[in-house]
Amino acid sequence: MTQFGRQLGIGPTDNTSDQRTPRKPLRLIPSVARESFVPVVPARYVMRTHEWDMTRIAPGRPRGDGTPIEVKGTLRNENGTPIRDALIEIWNANHHGRYRHVEDASGLQLDENFFGMGRVVTDEDGNYCFWTISPGAYLARPDIGRWRPKHIHLSVSGGSARLITQMYFPDEPNNASDPMAILMGDGFENNIGKPYETSDLDVDEGYRFDIVVGGRNATFFE
Amino acid sequence: MTQDNGSNLLKATNEDTSGPFFPIYFQDESLEDLTVLGPGIVGAPSGQHIILCGRVLDRHGNLANGVLMEFWQANAKGIYNSPDNLGHPDLDPWFNGYGRLRSASGEYKFCTIMPGASDNRAPNITITLFSDGISRIVTQVFFEGHKANETDPVLKSLGTDDQARLIARHGGHTDGGAEIYLLDIVMAGANETPFFDDFES
Repeated sequence: MTQFGRQLGIGPTDNTSDQRTPRKPLRLIPSVARESFVPVVPARYVMRTHEWDMTRIAPGRPRGDGTPIEVKGTLRNENGTPIRDALIEIWNANHHGRYRHVEDASGLQLDENFFGMGRVVTDEDGNYCFWTISPGAYLARPDIGRWRPKHIHLSVSGGSARLITQMYFPDEPNNASDPMAILMGDGFENNIGKPYETSDLDVDEGYRFDIVVGGRNATFFE
Repeated sequence: MTQDNGSNLLKATNEDTSGPFFPIYFQDESLEDLTVLGPGIVGAPSGQHIILCGRVLDRHGNLANGVLMEFWQANAKGIYNSPDNLGHPDLDPWFNGYGRLRSASGEYKFCTIMPGASDNRAPNITITLFSDGISRIVTQVFFEGHKANETDPVLKSLGTDDQARLIARHGGHTDGGAEIYLLDIVMAGANETPFFDDFES
C-alpha cells in the first residue's frame, strides 16, 4: 500500500508554482530503500580565486552600482555538525533587479561592472563568506503589481548535503507578499540575513546567514 | 541559532525555489555524461552505456523550461560511491554516480551507464528536480525489461499506474552502442509522476 507524506503547497499568485507543483501528496519511501535516495555529491572545488568578491567583475575593476555587502555564515547539519568543503553557488540580480542570464527578458538595466554569479567553498569549520552588491527588487507580476523582494540565491552541495535556498533582507516591504515566503510561514524568519556592523570592512552592510541542511540526506558528509 | 521546541536538532533552513535563472555559467559538462572521464583521457567506467532522455512537463503538458536535474546511481556492479562503501572492492574508480544538468527547454538527455542491481533492488536512478515554482522534488526511475522490477520495494509500494510512470521505456540504441531509455517526468496534473518525501520517510 502506498503511504503518503507531505502535500506540497502552491505559492499564492505564482503561476509557475501552480503549473509545476505536484498535486498528489509525496509518497513515503519504504525503509529498505531509504538510503538509495541519498545522493552523495563529490567535492567540487570549482571556483575562481576572485569569485568570493562579486562586487566587481575582476580585481582592480570598479564596483557595480548599488550597495556592497558581505554575507557570511556557518553551514551545519541538523545535529549542529559543521559541513566543510561544501560548494556554495551564489547568484543574485544586480542593483536594478536584472540577472546576467540569457533568459532574463525583463529589459531592466544591465550593469557593466556586475556579474552576479560566484562560488565559495566552506572551510573546515563550515564557515563561508562572500561579498556582493545588494540586489534590487523586481516586478515579478506586472499584471497584479507583485514584486519579488530583494534576495540572494544560494545552492549548497557537498557530501549528502543538498539545499537550494534564498537569503532575504530584513524589513523589506515586499517580503510579506512573496509566494515562497508565504509558504514558509513563521519559518521565513530563518531565511532572513541578520545585519551586523561592517565599519572595519570595505563594504557598507553585513548579513549573517547561518544555513542548516535538514533531513536524513545530510547524514553523510566530508 | 534557532532550535525546535523539545528537540536538540537545529531548525533546518527552508528550501526555496531556484527561480528561473539558475546560472548556466555553473554548468559542468562532465556531470552530464558520466561515460566520459574528461577531455583526452583514455578509459571509461565499466558497464553498458545508456542514454536516459525525455521531457519534463508541467500541469498543462508544456515543457518545464529551465529545470535543473540531478542524478544519483550505483555503478555497474550495484555499488554506490557513498561513504559507507569506502574501500569496497566493487567500487569503480572511474564512476562516482552523481550527475547534473540544466535544461533550457525542459527536454533532457543524460548519458551514463546502466546501474547494477543492489540489495534486492531493481536497477534505478534517483532524480532530483529543482525549478522555478517549486523548491525540490525527488523520484526514482527504473528500466523496462528488468525482472527485478517486479520485486523492487519502491515499485511495489505503488499502484500499477504509478509504477508505469517510473519505468523508462527502451527506445533502441545509438550507433555507438548506447541503449536509449525514454521517460517523461510530469510535475503535476493528470499523469503526474509519483514523487517521494525524503524528509518524512
